[in-house]
Amino acid sequence: MKRHFPVIRWLMVLSIGLVVALGLFSAPIKSNAAEKTYQIGTDVTFPPFEYANDNNKYVGIDIDLMNAIAKDQGFKVNFKPTSFNGAIQAVQSGQLNGMVAGMSVTPERKGTFDFSTAYYNSGVVMAVSQNNNDIKSLKDLKGKTIAVKTGTTGAQYAQSIQKKYGFKISTFDDSSNVYEDVLTGNSVACFDDEPVLKYGINQGTKLKIVTKPAAGTPIALGVKKGTNKDLVEKFNAGLAHLKKNGEYKKIMDKYLNAKKNTEDNHSFFGILKQNKTFLWQGFLQTLWLTIVSIIFATIFGVIFGLFGVLPIKFFRGLSSTVIYLFRGMPLLVLALFIYTGIPTLTGTRIPAFIAGVITLMLDEGAYIAAFVKGGIESVDKGQMEAARSLGLPFGKSMRKVILPQGVKLMVPSFINQFIITLKDTSILSIIGILELTQTGKIIIARNLEGFKVWAMVAIIYLVVITLLTWLSNWVKRRAKI
Amino acid sequence: MSKIKVTDLHKQYADNHVLRGVDLEVKDNEVVVIIGPSGSGKSTLLRTLNKLEEPTSGSVVVHGTDIAQKGVNIDQVREQIGMVFQHFNLFNNLSVGKNIMLAPVELGKLSKEDAVKQAKKLLGVVGLENKFDASVNSLSGGQKQRVAIARALAMNPDIMLFDEPTSALDPEMVGDVLNVMKKLAKEKGMTMVVVTHEMGFAKEVADRVVFVDDGIIQEEGTPDEIFNHPKNDRLKSFLSKILEV
Repeated sequence: MKRHFPVIRWLMVLSIGLVVALGLFSAPIKSNAAEKTYQIGTDVTFPPFEYANDNNKYVGIDIDLMNAIAKDQGFKVNFKPTSFNGAIQAVQSGQLNGMVAGMSVTPERKGTFDFSTAYYNSGVVMAVSQNNNDIKSLKDLKGKTIAVKTGTTGAQYAQSIQKKYGFKISTFDDSSNVYEDVLTGNSVACFDDEPVLKYGINQGTKLKIVTKPAAGTPIALGVKKGTNKDLVEKFNAGLAHLKKNGEYKKIMDKYLNAKKNTEDNHSFFGILKQNKTFLWQGFLQTLWLTIVSIIFATIFGVIFGLFGVLPIKFFRGLSSTVIYLFRGMPLLVLALFIYTGIPTLTGTRIPAFIAGVITLMLDEGAYIAAFVKGGIESVDKGQMEAARSLGLPFGKSMRKVILPQGVKLMVPSFINQFIITLKDTSILSIIGILELTQTGKIIIARNLEGFKVWAMVAIIYLVVITLLTWLSNWVKRRAKI
Repeated sequence: MSKIKVTDLHKQYADNHVLRGVDLEVKDNEVVVIIGPSGSGKSTLLRTLNKLEEPTSGSVVVHGTDIAQKGVNIDQVREQIGMVFQHFNLFNNLSVGKNIMLAPVELGKLSKEDAVKQAKKLLGVVGLENKFDASVNSLSGGQKQRVAIARALAMNPDIMLFDEPTSALDPEMVGDVLNVMKKLAKEKGMTMVVVTHEMGFAKEVADRVVFVDDGIIQEEGTPDEIFNHPKNDRLKSFLSKILEV
């Protein structure tokens, strides 16, 4: 009995180690500084409220105001850039203390959020392409399609009047995509907060505003209902103070009456030159995320793939379940579930990077497990019987006879999976990881040059994938597989 | 002295009752040939002797150990039972020499150097002296099967099981393999259990021929008794069919 299944024991040790390692990574983050640090979610693709400036530092009404209030009230702010919806979920799950993201106070949101005093009153306007003279008012929208950004007041306003004016709605996650949709003519108009649209037009977007501000809503800091009272109190006190000493007006003037920035070079190479450090950082983050995820996914996949061929029912069942579960789940859903769902269940915050690695480990790992299992199973059954008939134990037979043959079959699948993993990291932009895609989104939010920036991002991905393919082929040749 | 003693052996897959109470004894140095129509259960019977098939009930005592029991260290028992398969099952990832050396080296029976010497010697026994470094895929079927025999012999077993060792071979290759098996039986006095359709081999080499049909042993005896004076009707009909051809 003693030497029966050393492989299994070995695998168990490995999987336990893996779980422990992940546990350590995701241990709660305590801030023990004297000054309290608040984790604040924001959008960073929503100028002029928040965006990355020419030097790719986060600026905007929300950012400057929050920083000024923090300074005034003596606390620290750690901005977590995610999408607007991502921030909402992260606040609700307790990942973040609060959010400032040009967030309107609506009755619906009041159900789950507590808000500070409003710091701005925004109104929704409609904009059309500059050379469009047909759409002059809401009445002209009948049967047409309009574009909005998800979760914005513009989107809510559009929905509220949709029946009355009889138009269709296309929704996007970024303002730049909204404008692009109008400029290309897919949609005839878009709705957004007045300052947001004005900023876009100032940046050279060929749109014009054709309606007066409507549906004015207050904009405020939001926290999860019943939590972070201290943050709201400090914010209100600070805001009142800033209004009194004039700093509030300075910040508002700076962003709302901004002159058109004519110094920016909007040519392909101008944009590239201006953003090269930012893109480089995004690229490094993508690469790092890919490498770490591939390592974990491979370990995870090989363990569960091997479980699938062990002569013990329990492990085979476990393997099938894991493959079924994580291969069947869209990566986007899994990422959001892990980033916002797990903290809701456990009360422990997970840094976005760790959540991203876990997501890719589970998803890509499930695919790896499937082809590891398949590769082993496709080795002729007689090979195992012959090895066992000589008195070789299961584990040795596996290592010396079956795996070497199975691995040969798996190599192309592994290379394929590595490339897919690299591409899949882009989906993690949803939870705010500053990888290449998110970097692109942020740059576009500022300069609204979607086509050129996405071209740069695409080229960078292609270059990396080409390098990765070369590397894989080189390894393949070296290993003579 | 009996090397293998099978008592009331049953093997059942779902509703397919393949073995229905087999009693069989194999003595030291004995060559037992199992014959029977296809689907009769003879291969299953052979594979229960080293537990490649788990018996449903009954006992299979090999070297005094009942391997049908749970918790038996089957690997230790298998070290002493060589097996040769219909489809050779040579390890495709290893060279001919390494196929033969794998088990003795991995199980700590021989040093690597001794294993090389032994492998070369065994290749000599099966008439493939110069194939030590050859890749498995470069061999013909007959050569593969002889390497498979050498591989089984490398663990120095005192029982050899042959599961239709010549069925997958081209006719001109059959003789070489059978000659090696005859040599094993006659010169080395190896205890052998052979499932085969080669009646010539059975007549010449077998000490005892066992006729299996419908999951039980219908008749057993010397080759003369079985082939020249069959009593069982099924055996008579089986023999008439194969001798017609």
